[in-house]
Amino acid sequence: MIKHLFKLIWNKKKQNFLLITEMFVSFIVMFAVFTLIVYYYNNYKQPMGFDYDNVWVANYTPPPNIQSNDSAQLFHDVLEKMVKSMPEVVDMSFMSNNVPFSMSTSNTEISYGDHRNVRTNIYTAEDSYKDVLNFKILEGRWFTNADIVKGRDIPIVINKKLKEELFGNETATGKIIGENMIDKSQQSARYRVIGVADNLKDKGSYQAIENGMYRNIDTGAMHWVGNIVLKVKPNVDAAFEGKLFKTLSNAIGTSIEIEHFDKKLVTKNRIMLVPMIILLIVAGFLIINVSLGLFGVLWYNINKRKSEIGLRRAVGASGSSVSNQLVGEALVLATISLILGLFFAVQFPLLNVFDLASNIYLWAIAFSVLFIYVLVIICALYPGKQAAAIYPAVALHEE
Amino acid sequence: MLKNYFKIAIAVLKRRKFFTFISLFGISFTLTILIVATAFVDNVTSANYPELNRDRSLYINFLQQRNSKYGYTQNGPASYYYMDQYVNKLKTPESIGISSLFVPVNTYVNNKKLVVNIKYTNEAYWHVMQYQYIEGKPYTQQQIDNAERVAVISDDLKKDYFGDIPNVVGKYIEADNVQYRITGVVKSVPVTMAISYADLYAPYTVSKTDYRTKGLSGNYSAILLARSKAELPKIKEEYAGIVAKIKPEQKDFDQFISYADSYVTSFTRQMAGDPTNSSGLNILITAASAFILFFMLLPTLNLININISRIMERSSEIGVRKAFGASSKTLVWQFIVENIILTFFGAVIGIVLSFIILQVINNSELITNMHLSINLTVLLYSLIACLFFGLLSGVYPAWRMSRLEVVTALKAQ
Repeated sequence: MIKHLFKLIWNKKKQNFLLITEMFVSFIVMFAVFTLIVYYYNNYKQPMGFDYDNVWVANYTPPPNIQSNDSAQLFHDVLEKMVKSMPEVVDMSFMSNNVPFSMSTSNTEISYGDHRNVRTNIYTAEDSYKDVLNFKILEGRWFTNADIVKGRDIPIVINKKLKEELFGNETATGKIIGENMIDKSQQSARYRVIGVADNLKDKGSYQAIENGMYRNIDTGAMHWVGNIVLKVKPNVDAAFEGKLFKTLSNAIGTSIEIEHFDKKLVTKNRIMLVPMIILLIVAGFLIINVSLGLFGVLWYNINKRKSEIGLRRAVGASGSSVSNQLVGEALVLATISLILGLFFAVQFPLLNVFDLASNIYLWAIAFSVLFIYVLVIICALYPGKQAAAIYPAVALHEE
Repeated sequence: MLKNYFKIAIAVLKRRKFFTFISLFGISFTLTILIVATAFVDNVTSANYPELNRDRSLYINFLQQRNSKYGYTQNGPASYYYMDQYVNKLKTPESIGISSLFVPVNTYVNNKKLVVNIKYTNEAYWHVMQYQYIEGKPYTQQQIDNAERVAVISDDLKKDYFGDIPNVVGKYIEADNVQYRITGVVKSVPVTMAISYADLYAPYTVSKTDYRTKGLSGNYSAILLARSKAELPKIKEEYAGIVAKIKPEQKDFDQFISYADSYVTSFTRQMAGDPTNSSGLNILITAASAFILFFMLLPTLNLININISRIMERSSEIGVRKAFGASSKTLVWQFIVENIILTFFGAVIGIVLSFIILQVINNSELITNMHLSINLTVLLYSLIACLFFGLLSGVYPAWRMSRLEVVTALKAQ
């Protein structure tokens, strides 16, 4: 049966060539769309890993007149005391620019054993950062003020993802990892892992979890710091925010902005989702277009083959077998284009393009194959039904 | 003759209404998406309010210091010190507008938080940009020199902060814990105008981060306004001469790179990765064209498919015409004309549709203060796209048809 269908299609290869190309391109488009959807969904499923309700961030430009390490330390101590003395504030931590849900990132490349130049986010924060965001430590411990570096190895906490990439099932605590420093004076710097933290999805709901490592802000870096992450008590009002703003503004002297993490998350998610929605609209339009075209061409082909169908009916083929044959032909056409499409799609997981996990591609392939088949069946059903309704006498009479 | 083709085309279109619908749907929606997309790109890249002088302006918004051995770079905008020391020394430009990137700060009115984006500017900025004043005027050089706390605010900020009152010039506005006296109110700018967007404009001398701090990188960009378009290369050359003498500030770096570029290039260069070799513009254009081609591929394939069915259906007509001596050329010509007529109808529907969609986008305030419109450039490009479409989907079926033997064509009936 299938061999017969192939022969039918081969005989009209010129006519079918364009249909096959069209289904092939549709498959590629759907593959791209489903890859994105599966990727986003996978990320969305991951837990956030931390609390962002009632957590605010105050962004400021570090005052330019504070240059020496001692004066920077002093300045920040005063600031910290001032903020912590407010009854509405639960806890606070200074932090590098890459606060959760912000646009800025800070990366470095580290090496351990066979794993050379692994790209990871590096977060500098204070010991109180863990309590502000309330995330879990899975192994070892979080750093304390006593860890502030004196010796050669800088104590760091890495996240679960980085741990799995570097150490697999081994324990990470106590291991030493190195970094490729450009700055010669720091070339001997090495990191000692003192703990593993849970993964924080701090780039937005739809973003993938990235490698991360946390280290204490050391005195030398204090005058670069421009962000305060702080947790406030539930139900504090805008009046308190105004008061906090005035206090900080008077103390720091440069421009200040206070943001709420829940609102930052909404903005960040929108930036991720808007292109996705536009893409879906465009893809949806293309698919409607293609399905109308497929439908039209199949319909036309059937009208042209009235005499053939009439003859088949006359020699005893049932209506449903005629209809099945037409749908079958369309499915064989789809299969040919899908095989062609699969050849290209399979390259993505094989060559590890764009660094996505291969099961994302495999799911996307499965979805798009299913989608194309369903689309083709829907488009072929009505013309098939029409063909089944052809009366042999009428069709043969026309001939 | 053409009139005849036209009549035939209309008759054919009426006969198979479903096919006509599919073709029109494909053409009009593809065009709609293209027109809406180009309207957006056009809005972002071309000289719109208030950057009306964009075609005779050059932008400096990016410095790069690099270590050529490791490829390690430090990128970012320049400091005011840099602008004053090097950019202000340029002789050729008519004027040099200097402004900071907008910095978001807070202000609290009636227990409500407002986010105010502040931009610090010099005096020439108000000449380079063509802001529309609803009230008052910009601050003067005198006020800048005296570091007076004066500000020009946007229409939107006025509404948010003061509500509906007629006159606010001379009133005080508090932002970032500072009281500014308002000297003027300008029509608001959409956030897509990265260089000119802000809610509050103030003299650079009142900026809280000291503008005298030495060091190359900071928060400022410059717009060099030339007297005429012809002088742009001269300015670029002069600036390149200055940049060649600048040394990187840290010993880790051995190269200093900065360019005076046209608006779009000044952004694409930053994305290109290696600004010494490429301006990034070519990469952008290639990527955009590849995307458009791929996007148009499906509807075109679809149209070709439909057209083939349509033409083959008329094989008896072709056979008769051929038998009476019509050459292949005339027939191909006829089908192409028919197809162009069809695309033309599709184009009209597409333009109407995109007009509606643009109105909806404008009214929904998707991006505040951005007003998309179909302008002549956009229309011209879409008509070209349309013609391309029509030809592409008409030529192949017409060619297939013209090769039909008279006998087969007649027998097919």
